[in-house]
Amino acid sequence: MHPWPQPPGGPHYSVCHFCDTLHEATPLAEGVAARCRCCGAVLYQNRPASLARVTSFSIAALLLMFVVNWFPFLTMDAAGIRTTLNLASGARALIAEGSPLLGVALALFTIVTPLALAGGLLYVCAPLLFGRIAPGAIHVAKWLNKTEPWNMIEVFLLGVLVSLLKLNKLADVHFGPGFWAFGAVMLCMAAAIAGIDRDELWDRLEVAKR
Amino acid sequence: MSGSLPRAAARGLAGCHTCGKVSPVSLGRCPRCGSHLHLRKPDSIRRTMAFMLAAAALYIPANFLPMMTMVELGVVTSNTIVGGIIYFWKGGAYPIALVILTASILIPLLKIISISWLCLAASGKLHPSPAMLGRMYWFTELMGRWSMVDIFVVGILVALVQLGNYMTVTPGPGALAFGGVVVLTMFAAMSFDPRLLWDRLEMLELDSSTLKKTDT
Repeated sequence: MHPWPQPPGGPHYSVCHFCDTLHEATPLAEGVAARCRCCGAVLYQNRPASLARVTSFSIAALLLMFVVNWFPFLTMDAAGIRTTLNLASGARALIAEGSPLLGVALALFTIVTPLALAGGLLYVCAPLLFGRIAPGAIHVAKWLNKTEPWNMIEVFLLGVLVSLLKLNKLADVHFGPGFWAFGAVMLCMAAAIAGIDRDELWDRLEVAKR
Repeated sequence: MSGSLPRAAARGLAGCHTCGKVSPVSLGRCPRCGSHLHLRKPDSIRRTMAFMLAAAALYIPANFLPMMTMVELGVVTSNTIVGGIIYFWKGGAYPIALVILTASILIPLLKIISISWLCLAASGKLHPSPAMLGRMYWFTELMGRWSMVDIFVVGILVALVQLGNYMTVTPGPGALAFGGVVVLTMFAAMSFDPRLLWDRLEMLELDSSTLKKTDT
């Protein structure tokens, strides 16, 4: 693995996004974080094996997302009828039952955003492993920042648990393979997003561009 | 404290919102990623207040209108958020009642209060205690998404409980209002700029030091 490269020029600075204190940015050893001298917020940190981690965890998340979309989350047996829930059916039901806005929001937060995040991270980071830059990677990386807060898979998982408890008295409800796969997607996504520091990703992009 | 450490804005330097690179703000655009450069988020307090007021207005119908309607053998029951909490509490499911209470009532309310407090402090109407309020801001941003859990529950129940004449669930108008509250408070938190608190503190320190000089 190549260490975190320094872009040409310098001296390099880092500004605390909480309090605007200016720091001179110095290279860090792996696993070390730089904190603001004024307010203590993390400025940047050097994650160990960052690119390899992001690449592998986002591949794992993408593969698991196929499992999630093919297998049911929950199966419910009541009144002789079996209904199943998968990721898209929640959104589809909301649209069909007269709440199209909520249906679209649910699909955006639980299907589109995680897919775009994992795909985008893979697209940007995998070529960087070989010191290359994918076409349009700068634009993809810009969008990654903006989509990150709207990735709500862990919230959806909590929603599945709450619904399970709500329905428990009415019917037989069982977890399907989709549920466990979604739990794994959540862990992989968290690991992929936390795998690389924003400053490191952009320094690497800047160096690879030249 | 903040007086001894250099601040980027005083030197005309801005950290890019997108990629973090520090460049002179006079460039207009970040040389690395092409985003617009600002010393502070533009119109931060006004935008935050607008999103926050819209969210506060929606908070009322979100709590009083039904989140979903259940039809069981022809009997129609409407479920509000509070009704759901009471249902679980009476049934002895205390942890789940507490989770819904926290995610659906407390977090949105605390978000609205903390964002208003942050705006008042940043506009100089309350004392800016940036160390404490900064942590409050960070927490507000972190917790915001979890309120979405109730919307997801409505979606899941609507999808699962479609048992023909026996029992059906349909989403209610409260769900849309509640989704609006969550999204609007997230936008409010994103438009707030915590650096404004430190700017206020710096102004206060400057004022007090010039006062001392005129005294002696």
